[in-house]
Amino acid sequence: MASALKTYGTLIGFILVVVFFWIEIPDTFMTAKNWLNISQQVSMLAVVAFTMTIVMVMGDFDLSVGSMASLAGIVAALAFHDGYGVEIGVALALIIGLAGGLLNGVLVAYVGILPFVATLGTLTIYSGLAFLVSGGKTIFGRDIPPAFSGFARSGIPLSDTVSLPSLTLVAALVLLAVWFVLEQTTFGRRLYAIGGNKEAARLAGIRVKRLRFFAFGLSGLGAATAGLMYASRVASANPTQGSGLMLDAIAAVFLGMTMSDEGEPHVLATLVGVLILGVLGNGLTQMSIDSYVREVLIGSIIVLAVAASSIGKARG
Amino acid sequence: MTATLRKRLPAAALFLSAVFAAGAATAAGKIAVITPYLAQPGTQFYVEAFQAAAKDKAWDVNVIDTKGDVAAVISRLEDAATQKVDAVVINVDPAQVEAGLAAVKDAGIPVVGMDAGASPYLVTNVTSNGYAMAADTAAYVANRIGGKGNVVMFVFDAFPPVQVRGVIADAVFGNNPDIKVLDRVTPDVSDGGIADSRAKMEALLAAHPDKGSISAVWAAWDQPALGALQAIEAAGRQNEGIVITGIDANPQAREAIAAGGNFEASMAQDFHGIGRAAAEAVAQTLAGKPPKSSVIYVPTKLITADNVKD
Repeated sequence: MASALKTYGTLIGFILVVVFFWIEIPDTFMTAKNWLNISQQVSMLAVVAFTMTIVMVMGDFDLSVGSMASLAGIVAALAFHDGYGVEIGVALALIIGLAGGLLNGVLVAYVGILPFVATLGTLTIYSGLAFLVSGGKTIFGRDIPPAFSGFARSGIPLSDTVSLPSLTLVAALVLLAVWFVLEQTTFGRRLYAIGGNKEAARLAGIRVKRLRFFAFGLSGLGAATAGLMYASRVASANPTQGSGLMLDAIAAVFLGMTMSDEGEPHVLATLVGVLILGVLGNGLTQMSIDSYVREVLIGSIIVLAVAASSIGKARG
Repeated sequence: MTATLRKRLPAAALFLSAVFAAGAATAAGKIAVITPYLAQPGTQFYVEAFQAAAKDKAWDVNVIDTKGDVAAVISRLEDAATQKVDAVVINVDPAQVEAGLAAVKDAGIPVVGMDAGASPYLVTNVTSNGYAMAADTAAYVANRIGGKGNVVMFVFDAFPPVQVRGVIADAVFGNNPDIKVLDRVTPDVSDGGIADSRAKMEALLAAHPDKGSISAVWAAWDQPALGALQAIEAAGRQNEGIVITGIDANPQAREAIAAGGNFEASMAQDFHGIGRAAAEAVAQTLAGKPPKSSVIYVPTKLITADNVKD
């Protein structure tokens, strides 16, 4: 019972929040349309948080994801501006994301810089590059092809009134891929081994450097994907638009980590973390709660959930 | 009971009490005001004026600040549509939040823009006339220097509302054959714009050391004008009669204009007037008589040493 509460405390908290909104906003909160809305609203954060989970499994961080998301959006928009098609723009942005992620991997794994410092450095570099190549401009209007901006507004119709948003679908596919990689492959299990004890993992014959290198590449790729989703949703690209994603993504992974006995990140738990953040944003807006109260509440919930879990675990 | 659960209870209590306290008020008209820019002084002024007008009309206004996040504006627009508010007011480029505006429109909820930009999704957009503001200050410069001399322009073409100001000033200066635009400077605005404008102006002063080689500085907003003023004063060239103008008439600019130095003129937008006019547009729309024009201009005023103290 006690261990179940420790493990499922955050999940129970999430369910309580949902039930609370259901009671307070009876007409509109617990509807398929609203939940599909929420799923679309959190989809960009979700993708960053899912791929962030991959590096956090090893006990590392990637602080550069927000500026990488901005840079990817800018790269795609500039490609569109120069007359390239949607496929080329998207491919270029993803390549930049992968390359930027792998650069983080080189710095962390091979050069041996602490991830916090290395990715803080690349955060600044990628953000600077986004400003440099865009000239600080927001790229919008005719430069963004309708096929690109239309993607974020499209979906698979589920009934006459609701449809499954394309952005939600992308997030679900990323979730599936990350879950498969982390939980079902030797690559994933080895990442957990590195997170448990780097030295022991190395002595057991795991090629720690190479795995960290690739893991950071995946995080960069995820950040670029989210940046493209963001650019499609706002039909524009701005050199700072992804910057809010990083802290929320780390917060979501931390919220998810409270659900594991070992304090390990798991991608399905990260999903719960993402949903907590998304549901609070959605429900509190519908209840007309002041947006600053909302900020304080979300921050408090993160701190309390993580604190409760760590105190519980320290005693357990 | 475990430690975990005991720790969790106060959190839940705090959460619930805060929510009830804030969600208690309900009224006839529910209006959501959504902006990423509440930290900007101008936005604060119109939101305050809007809230004051809404209080008289007994509306329940929910001001939502997404703190610079434009995608979050779309999310909050979708939530407002789900919540079925009576009207939405936005202060953000409508082209960037069309997905959310479409959701609001599908829910049959009217949207009024408060200095937002033109869009078919808006009933109307209440704003200042950027063309007119730039024309007023550029004409002021041209007249003050007698239609003759070198002018430095500070522009910012990346931001559409500021870009239109530059275009108009180009036209005014271009129409005076003896005015030469020495440079069209785009300052780095990440530090607020004053420091980098000062550095750019210092470089231009160094490149044009002779008295009279720079007649005027026209800035598309106040920060570069203030930076240019600092550079001119630091270079000891404040007595050469270099005329500086800005736009927005922020408190720092008003102080400089009142001091009677090189910074001579700026344009005051009526931010409170924009807020009030937006509230009026919402009231008309809710009454079933939406404003006819897709843009409502609130008059602006040229601020000089003569009227800065008014």
